[in-house]
Amino acid sequence: MERKIDNSALGRYKKRMLALMVVLALVSQLVFWEYIHNHPTGVLAYMLAVLPALSFIGIMVTYGLYIAELKDEFVRTVVKTSLLWSIVATLSVTTLWGFLELLANAPHLQPLLVLPIFGIFLGITTALVNRRYE
Amino acid sequence: MKNRLRVLRAEREWSQADLALRLEVSRQSVNAIETGKFDPSLPLAFKLARLFETTIEAIFTDEN
Repeated sequence: MERKIDNSALGRYKKRMLALMVVLALVSQLVFWEYIHNHPTGVLAYMLAVLPALSFIGIMVTYGLYIAELKDEFVRTVVKTSLLWSIVATLSVTTLWGFLELLANAPHLQPLLVLPIFGIFLGITTALVNRRYE
Repeated sequence: MKNRLRVLRAEREWSQADLALRLEVSRQSVNAIETGKFDPSLPLAFKLARLFETTIEAIFTDEN
């Protein structure tokens, strides 16, 4: 049979993610080097601090584009369901931890860790949602 | 929703992968629809009906 399943959305997603990872690694190296050696202050310090975050935001935008470009409605449903459950899990854990910090003197959770936590939950929920449809 | 996809597919001696290729979806999609775990959208249901040269009602039946 000549026809093939369109996997172009996944292909584009992987390429964009790879490019963003490279940009993130380079920008982070550059920003940390600048902070260690030149100790920037004021507006420049703020601007430099924002740069690595932009790459992380780009990763989220890339994931959004992947969902928008997915043609297979079943796969899109699996991705969207996983995404919703991982948002619920991340918000629950971070809210819970917030109260633990506030009332029980638990160690401070860096807001920077929220995205990796979300990524871990996304991996878990994707596996669980996929299992549901097996 | 219950459906007759497995029967219709067997009549044509198509595997799930064959049907997936014809519908331009993943094999997992066909499996999920066939087992009733996932209800297809109206456009995909029409595509299925056209492919099997029948009506949507002849493929899918409301469990209620």
